[in-house]
Amino acid sequence: MAERIDGDALRVTRDAGMGSENYPSRVSRHPLRITAREPDFVAKVEELCGENLYACYQCGKCAAGCLFADHMDFLPNQVLRLVQLADEAVLSSRAPWVCASCLACEVRCPKGVDIAKVMEALRLLSLRKGETGLRWGEIPPGVPQIALVGATRKLTP
Amino acid sequence: MSDKAVPSSAKASAAHHNASRVTRHALPYFPGCALKDQARGFEDSARAAMAALGYELAELPRWNCCGTVYSLATDDLMRHLGPVRNLVRVQDLGETRLVTLCAMCYNTLARSSRFVGADPERLERINAFMDDEADYRGGVEVVHLLELLRDEVTFEAIEAKVERPLDGLKVAPYYGCMLLRPREVGIDDPDSPGVLEALLSALGAEPVDFPQKAECCGAYQTVSSPEIARARVGEIVSAARWAGAELIATSCPLCTYNLEHHQVEREERETRHASPVTRHEIPILYFTQLLALALGVSEDKLGFAGLKFDPRPLLSDRELV
Repeated sequence: MAERIDGDALRVTRDAGMGSENYPSRVSRHPLRITAREPDFVAKVEELCGENLYACYQCGKCAAGCLFADHMDFLPNQVLRLVQLADEAVLSSRAPWVCASCLACEVRCPKGVDIAKVMEALRLLSLRKGETGLRWGEIPPGVPQIALVGATRKLTP
Repeated sequence: MSDKAVPSSAKASAAHHNASRVTRHALPYFPGCALKDQARGFEDSARAAMAALGYELAELPRWNCCGTVYSLATDDLMRHLGPVRNLVRVQDLGETRLVTLCAMCYNTLARSSRFVGADPERLERINAFMDDEADYRGGVEVVHLLELLRDEVTFEAIEAKVERPLDGLKVAPYYGCMLLRPREVGIDDPDSPGVLEALLSALGAEPVDFPQKAECCGAYQTVSSPEIARARVGEIVSAARWAGAELIATSCPLCTYNLEHHQVEREERETRHASPVTRHEIPILYFTQLLALALGVSEDKLGFAGLKFDPRPLLSDRELV
């Protein structure tokens, strides 16, 4: 899924540095620069996740406790910030596909924002355009059906 | 106990929702896919342990897949059909309660029950989707076996029935996510739970505390990004090991798969050149297997054969099998 975040596809640009060339799919700890805005985007995500996105005040507690943040290009709070700023480029982020809905963030958010629901809404916006987060040819042999059903329900249209 | 799940007089009073009296120890129970397949030992040991405690887990007739993962979107009502169909089966029995063992089934069923039950309009829409079933009226309570053991059977009663105390056995209780989060359905504190520790103590074992006990194992990412699950399992297992655990107890077949599978992969990667003596995998058991063991259930009903890492050498060392 690394191609999702590669280079120019993103209108949110990230400064190079801190080994980002060596670890293109790792977390970027860089300032976000917003370059495009889609006015209906926030409403669309809010409708799909049922959360008040502007409740988030960027404390970063979700990112601090996220067990999957190491594998994300944008931290959970950064993803939320991009949605607040109505930048559809967030749909190219790897983060929603890495989120496993473990809800560690959900129980800790001081503002009661269920970030897992936001991640799911972002996944669904991509899935409903026909994208997929699962490559059929690369499924490891022997995974049990409980894992397969979970993965297909979360990561395929 | 008879095969008939519920005496008719008890059925009549089901509406009063005094579940502990109504069921008279025969409890409608939802197994789910994993317990009929890779986690057979979970079901077998749970049924044997509950029988030893005087309860019968009566398998829900015509149950179907719970959906495994709960849908988090507002417009995805279709994805609640699977769980709700199961709740209708409970309703058909005249029952008000459904017991689950698998943490993922528990979460999906309990959340769906709350989700559709909370809004009459939603309930009406979901009923409109279902042709073959009676309308779901709401109100079926989904209970995890651990809750039942804690709140109804009570750990004191369990302790009194222990025949083989698991003396000195150091067990790391691993909760994962779906038993604890979100709060609305969590059976214990979402970050710092203690119900498994209390059960293990009642069985005579020594619960081992470790910081990763409520952290995610990687879940279904084991399919799409196995390296993520491998990293998670590495942290969890090594923390449990550092804390001195000899066994890890779980309540989720997916956690168990990940903890077993990625533990092997990790071991193979990291200790390829180490001597066999230093390679020791930690057996991953379902909590019901330890419960059944302590209650004196015979070894053939404990389901150890299905485990990747055989706990029997350790247990026989402690004269428990």
